[in-house]
Amino acid sequence: MQTMLPSAPCLGGGGKINSLSWKLLVAGRILLVEDDPQIGDYIARGFAEEGFTVDRAANGRDGLFLATDSQFDVVVLDRMLPGMDGLSVLKALRAAEVETPVLVLSALGSTDDRVAGLTAGADDYLGKPFSFAELFARVQALMRRGSGRQKAQDTVLRCADLELDRLTRQVKRGARKITLQPREFRLLEYMLLHQGEVVTRTMLLEAVWDYHFDPGTNVIDVHISRLRRKIDDGEEQALFHTVRGAGYRMAAD
Amino acid sequence: MFARAMRQRRLSPTMLRLVAAVFVLQLLSSAAAIFFLRTQMLDVVRADREDQVIDVRDDLLAAFYSGGRGALADFIRDQRGSVADPGVFVTLAGGGAPTLTSNIDFVPAITPGPRPQAVLVRRGDSATEQDALVLASTLPDGARLTVGLMGASERRFNLAFAAAIGLTIAVAVALALVSALVLGLAISSRTHEIAKAAEELAAGNFGMRLAEGQSGDGFDHLRLQMNQMAERIASLVAELGAVSGALAHDLRSPVTRLSAAIDTALARVDEPGAVEALQAARADADGLRAMLETALEISRLEGGAVQDRRVQLDLAAVAADMVELYEPLAEQSGVTLALDLSPAWIMADRELISRALANAIDNALKYGGDAITVRTHAAEGEALLEVADNGPGIAPEDRPRVVERFVRLDNARTRPGGGLGLSMVNAVARLHRGRLELGEAHGGGLAVTLHLPA
Repeated sequence: MQTMLPSAPCLGGGGKINSLSWKLLVAGRILLVEDDPQIGDYIARGFAEEGFTVDRAANGRDGLFLATDSQFDVVVLDRMLPGMDGLSVLKALRAAEVETPVLVLSALGSTDDRVAGLTAGADDYLGKPFSFAELFARVQALMRRGSGRQKAQDTVLRCADLELDRLTRQVKRGARKITLQPREFRLLEYMLLHQGEVVTRTMLLEAVWDYHFDPGTNVIDVHISRLRRKIDDGEEQALFHTVRGAGYRMAAD
Repeated sequence: MFARAMRQRRLSPTMLRLVAAVFVLQLLSSAAAIFFLRTQMLDVVRADREDQVIDVRDDLLAAFYSGGRGALADFIRDQRGSVADPGVFVTLAGGGAPTLTSNIDFVPAITPGPRPQAVLVRRGDSATEQDALVLASTLPDGARLTVGLMGASERRFNLAFAAAIGLTIAVAVALALVSALVLGLAISSRTHEIAKAAEELAAGNFGMRLAEGQSGDGFDHLRLQMNQMAERIASLVAELGAVSGALAHDLRSPVTRLSAAIDTALARVDEPGAVEALQAARADADGLRAMLETALEISRLEGGAVQDRRVQLDLAAVAADMVELYEPLAEQSGVTLALDLSPAWIMADRELISRALANAIDNALKYGGDAITVRTHAAEGEALLEVADNGPGIAPEDRPRVVERFVRLDNARTRPGGGLGLSMVNAVARLHRGRLELGEAHGGGLAVTLHLPA
């Protein structure tokens, strides 16, 4: 698989990011454990188109065997599986000290089920129905968590000429000082920690506001566009990018 | 909570009537017992006195048979033995000798008989006649021996009885009152126990069961029936859960596939018309997904199939957070979103309360006017969370309807939404044992108020 630098997207040359560069940057190996053949096909095809290698298992036992046997960047695990259910697979994996990031996918999308999934050792939880863009963004986030952890310790986060100082809570774009409200600061901080990645509205709502439901309206979009005006207005280079059908991405390309 | 407990402790009119009835019955039975006892005791006293009279007569007869008339006369004159008792009087008349009396001035006119008879006699300087038991016997020599006993002891018994009866009545009244209250409280507590079970059922705890007794009384019957009812409800709810679970699985997967298919298509077409159509389809698929999610969430909430994640929280803080989330959207839509917060602490699930509040604010943004106020305050025993707008409001007759699932009023049909917003708010309120109130705001708009028990 490709290795990449944490700040790789920001180092990319100008212009629109194309799918080829995505493939080079993030492609990896995914294990998909899903019993519904159609959903499995869609997910697998989606990842394949983004340049991922996808291994598939249609039941829990095979999934557990594959996951313990070979190295994957991320395991996408359906919760309701024939033979051995997803949470048991997950517990068995963690008991065997396999630390591969696991995203649990489930038709049981309620908060209770999400909490149960996370307690069982899942790194993320996504309720069905989901959009592929959401799944893709979350898988990417899991793959980059290692570099994100490194970044999480930095006191100053940068993207191009944007600078956010987490100690003094000051934000500068070049020489221009930007005043942010506390929530805007956290929103920008999150975007910078995940720069180069697609961040979905749900991810933002969970991380910045700690809500695990979909308010239905475009509340997050308005917050982003407000922040975007403060950061990008009057600048030559836009750092905020809207990813159609998925969410946002912060990058200097 | 405290006020409620007080209400439960106080006796209701029904209970008061029951307690009063038990009290009166207790009192009546006590009175009956006392008077039965009195009659019995009087009989005993009377028999005792009759025996006493007969004993005196027998003593005198013994004297007569051992020494003849002379010995008897001496016995009477000297007031020997039982004749010495001042309550006893004796007369001996006829038989050819002078009449002899002791403790009395005349010979009572009474016919001889085997048992003493009650008569009225006047003795000495006494002004009134008094009860006496008198026994007359004819001696073998033809003389008549009359032996009497004054009724003083019966009067004394009556006096003693009267003194005792006061105390007895006081004790009986106290006992009747205590037993009535104990019975009342026992019934009340048993009824409360059963009512509490019903309350749990209403709150969605269908696993509750009452301990069934074997005595087969009315309470046991009621408990048994309650348990059977709970079982039936539990099985129905489980069935419903299974159905909605199956529905979830059956509907969610196709919707996921639909979204995925649209995404795949979107990634492959460049023709603007096609992109636009696909994006519209995408938005609808998302709407469908959200509706499905919300409908299932409401089912879960109403079925009580939710883990208890309640913590002590301040509604004001929850409201402030949510308003902060919605404020930019409101501003963009030209709506002012105002806060009027005072602390209101309750035990609640932050996520669910936030979700309910988001639904209420969303509803106000869609159908309300251009000013929304989110208010929290603590009232007597409850915490209130209110979202008021200055829109057209909802007519009072329509208010109960809009809380139902998928009900949308005519003016809302053209707007996006699934008619689930207020149902969700209602479900959250009920899960917290509170209620949703739809009323009129100050400016004539709609006021959505969550009343949550503190």
